[in-house]
Amino acid sequence: MKKLILAVLTITLAMGATANAQSLTAKEIIQKADQKQRGETSSGELKMTIVRPTWKREMQMKSWSMGTDYMLILVTAPARDKGAAFLKRENEIWNWQPTIDRTIKLPPSMMMQSWMGSDFTNDDLVRESSIVIDYTHKLLGKETIEGRSCYKIELTPKEDAPVVWGKIISWIDTEEFMQMKAEMYDEDGYLVNTMYGKNVRKMDDRILPSIMEVVPADKEGQKTIVEYLNLKFNEPIKESFFSIQNMKRVR
Amino acid sequence: MEKRGDVLADSSHARVEISENTGRLWFTMLSPYSQIMRRLILVFLLFLPFWGRAQEDKPRNWSFNGYVKNMQTLLFFNDAFPDFKQGALVDTFLQDNLIHHRLNFRWQVKDELRLYADLRTRVFYGDLVRATPDYGAAIDDVNNDYFDLSTVLLDEEAWVVHTMIDRLYLEYFKGDWEVRLGRQRINWGISTVWNPNDIFNAFAFTDFDYEERPGSDALRVKYYTGFASSLELAVQAFDRWDEATIAGLWKFNKGTYDFQVLAGYTQQDLALGGGWAGNLDDAGLKGEFTYFLPLNDSRQESFAATVGVDYSFSNSLYLNTGYLYNSRGSTNASVANLFNFELSARNLYPYRHGIFAQVSYPFTPLLNGGAAFIYSPVEVHALFVNPTLTLSVADNWGLDLVGQLIFDKEEKGYTSPIQAFFLRLKFSY
Repeated sequence: MKKLILAVLTITLAMGATANAQSLTAKEIIQKADQKQRGETSSGELKMTIVRPTWKREMQMKSWSMGTDYMLILVTAPARDKGAAFLKRENEIWNWQPTIDRTIKLPPSMMMQSWMGSDFTNDDLVRESSIVIDYTHKLLGKETIEGRSCYKIELTPKEDAPVVWGKIISWIDTEEFMQMKAEMYDEDGYLVNTMYGKNVRKMDDRILPSIMEVVPADKEGQKTIVEYLNLKFNEPIKESFFSIQNMKRVR
Repeated sequence: MEKRGDVLADSSHARVEISENTGRLWFTMLSPYSQIMRRLILVFLLFLPFWGRAQEDKPRNWSFNGYVKNMQTLLFFNDAFPDFKQGALVDTFLQDNLIHHRLNFRWQVKDELRLYADLRTRVFYGDLVRATPDYGAAIDDVNNDYFDLSTVLLDEEAWVVHTMIDRLYLEYFKGDWEVRLGRQRINWGISTVWNPNDIFNAFAFTDFDYEERPGSDALRVKYYTGFASSLELAVQAFDRWDEATIAGLWKFNKGTYDFQVLAGYTQQDLALGGGWAGNLDDAGLKGEFTYFLPLNDSRQESFAATVGVDYSFSNSLYLNTGYLYNSRGSTNASVANLFNFELSARNLYPYRHGIFAQVSYPFTPLLNGGAAFIYSPVEVHALFVNPTLTLSVADNWGLDLVGQLIFDKEEKGYTSPIQAFFLRLKFSY
């Protein structure tokens, strides 16, 4: 459970951080996509579904974020975990457990672990926030994904950069600057995960894929789906919103 | 080897011991008998929430949630049952069943005012109930605080039904202020396993089936001074000073550490304590201590302190280790006391020293396995072993298999007087 939330925490923070592109450089393209997805602040409701060949599990939550440093998540389903909340401020994470009336501070190592069979790994997602600094960006050309014209950009980690992927190929819509697809490769050049942006629609003031699917390369019938039920950008949220006090009160 | 007078098993409701007089296995009750039969109420209490939830989902300012659990318990006692033909104590076991319903009610009276009311209803059936006279009376009241908010609905031979309100409080919050009045949980612990700062409701890890813990009838006022800092003052309802608890807690954040300082009066002692939750690199580092200074010459001082480290590996293997020093603890008591000792923040474990180690690992996303060990490096070398397996059967359905095994070194070497096994199915709604 904790792991799942932390993953969402990092995914949602990182989704925005899908780095920078050329005439527009490759870098600028990715930077635009990043800014669009994230906004100064964002808040919304999302549903995560873990799909396996013989079972699936769902959970639902509300989230509020400011930049990549501040985030608050409130679990709204399943029933067992409803009301639990997570607060992230820079490198510190707290977990509110209403059943025992206790705030628990989590060890930083919890941010680094994988979760639920690892369709997403926290590790790479957290570090995507430094994708602009840690990667070099090369525009490979244009391709059509889901009927949309996309820039195809290759991201190669810089030497000694603390990243897990050997390479990332990202497809960014040429008009709307949203990531429609990304392939993550390991250091030996093998494809590990593919992420798809789906169900593009207007959320608040901008057009974005409302569903993200991560599909591992070598695991049949396995994927993880994150669906935004609603999303709002640049509403005024103060830094003081991200507090232990508020973690207990949001609803 | 158990002696006369030894207590072999104990819970909030009953006790199994070897009689001082006869040497026979004996079951005793912990409070006077009082039984009220209200079977209709019972049915109502058990099923009300399901009826309530059959309705639609339009926005409303109140909510219900909770769970139903069914737990089967097997208690094995080694060399505990007197066999008169053999003229010796032989092994025996007890089998019990517990159906447990928890209903949490929340009412957002106004933006800044919430009412919390939680009801806990349990149906006991089995050997322990049958073998224990006045079982119902024994479980009643032990979880009450100042007010009596519980009742025995049924008490017949092997069956007992008990219900209680273990939370009933109003919460008012405005700006940086938060005030709670009524039966509530005041959880002041900050470290992982043992919580010497938890002077209002100390926690016994052996009682894993009651994670919410009993509430305190209290007034608590809290003022938040920052994102992770606050000042709070709590007073438990009392008639006489010698049973009062009044204390303040100051929390603050510095660097990547949360700190807290505690001071107060609790049942004839002055309590001074503190704690922290921080990190050593990527590992969590937490600690907590309280010194109890007696205000009365007839009492003894006590000191409890704990420190622990936890770490989560990238493959999700979680490790947690810690140490407890308990000045009140024994060095030679029988390990059977583990289910029986008088628990309080002053005395969180029956032994002077406790070394804790816990490991947990998700074998699959649905199956989690773990084990906790507590070893006491004292004369009797007490060891508590607590393996757990947790399976997510479906959304909202969970199955747990829990073991509690205790060992100690007695005259004839290492023995295990009691082994308990629990199989629990839980449905949350």
